[in-house]
Amino acid sequence: MSAGAYLTAAVVSLWCGLDRTAVGQFMVCRPIVAAPLTGWLLGDPLVGLKIGALLELLWVGRLPIGAAIPPDDTQVAVGSTVLALAAGNAGLTTDSLVVLSLLVGLPLGKAGEYFDRLARLWNAQLLTRAEFLLDAGQYQKVPRLHLWGLWHFGIASLATYGIIVGGGTLFMGWALDHLPDRFDAIAAWLWLAFPLIGISATLGIFRISRSLLLFSCSFVIALLVF
Amino acid sequence: MSRWNRKNFILVLLRTFMLQASWNFEQMQSLGLLFAMVPALRRFYPEDQLLAVYRRHLVYFNTHPYLASPLLGAVLKLERQAAEGAPEEIGIHEFKSAVAAPCAAMGDGFFWGALRPVASATGLLLAFRGSLWGPVLFLFLFNVPHLWLRIVGLRRGYDRGFRVVENIQRCRFPDLSMRLKQLLVVLLGILAAWLIGDRFQGLGWASMWALPVIPLTLLLGFLVQKRISPLVLLFLMFLALLTWFHWN
Repeated sequence: MSAGAYLTAAVVSLWCGLDRTAVGQFMVCRPIVAAPLTGWLLGDPLVGLKIGALLELLWVGRLPIGAAIPPDDTQVAVGSTVLALAAGNAGLTTDSLVVLSLLVGLPLGKAGEYFDRLARLWNAQLLTRAEFLLDAGQYQKVPRLHLWGLWHFGIASLATYGIIVGGGTLFMGWALDHLPDRFDAIAAWLWLAFPLIGISATLGIFRISRSLLLFSCSFVIALLVF
Repeated sequence: MSRWNRKNFILVLLRTFMLQASWNFEQMQSLGLLFAMVPALRRFYPEDQLLAVYRRHLVYFNTHPYLASPLLGAVLKLERQAAEGAPEEIGIHEFKSAVAAPCAAMGDGFFWGALRPVASATGLLLAFRGSLWGPVLFLFLFNVPHLWLRIVGLRRGYDRGFRVVENIQRCRFPDLSMRLKQLLVVLLGILAAWLIGDRFQGLGWASMWALPVIPLTLLLGFLVQKRISPLVLLFLMFLALLTWFHWN
């Protein structure tokens, strides 16, 4: 993959990373959007769509409530799409490649929580500067301080993207050389594990009345219809 | 003092989209709220009073970013009344403190906990069929109510002042959340059946073999409730599959 492609994905990472908290919150940051968008710009939207769909369902129940910082699914989506496309076909089916890039990208995405926290701590320093400016009577400069937070969130997004793509590229190379013979078969089952775990986690986290009845009935009816 | 006009409204509205740019653990959205209000405050107050007004707003504030719009409109109405010397019906700080937390809870429950997962699940029904309309549908379903609340909420907030709370109550967000969550469970059931049934058909297995998925889902849900991370469960499954395929 060319340097331009990595740069294009970095721009998507920055835009989606800012949408996550700092600007807009139109939800282009969600994996179901961010990953196919990355794939589309890099020439293969369907790989991105598969990665985005699996990630979206895995974390559909994770909520950004209060001061809690959820996993950085945005950067995992963008980074894993880059990893899958950079690996080419590598002798694997598309589904196997999607699963492998997610297995590599997901643990590295934990770095996102650290950088996100760091950005919010940097933002707290803006308050100190705002107090200082008010004490000095320079109140006109206070609103502009707010925009510095964009840099902090932007840097955090790009740092996470860098770790997923940088670390992931190294690890993908090693993983592709050491894959078990029947990885395609393993990946086919893991393909089902993603949605199953995501759905279970959502049902486990959300305390919804009659959820067992509703889920079982809709599952059985849909199974009969399909 | 200058009145609130269309240009003001648009400027404040655009700035609400950056409410959380300086989100921090100490005062959360305080600087963002001030940033959003500045175009209006500069019209309401003379220069020599702005320092005190800015200082007044540099205190802890946190609410849901979308429900912040009606609150912001109401705060601006109160600020205008204060600037005009009208008798105070409710203190600005008192109003912010009283409504921010309940609105945060309602907004989190409705937008993050109900609407977004339902929009996701609906989009996923298309996405798992390989249709790029899935993400588009997700964005549409989520952003229509989102943008409506941002735009209309700011307008209503400014028109009705602190009484906008009654408008928010009339939206019945908790009831809507519960209905949407029930719809989410149904959509997840359909999605699970479709994904698993499709894979089993590919293996030549009868659909009835997918039925054990229901207790398996309950077991996994129980483990997540016991604070076992979904990521840990995923990698445990990966290890189990590696071991199985190694020995078979």
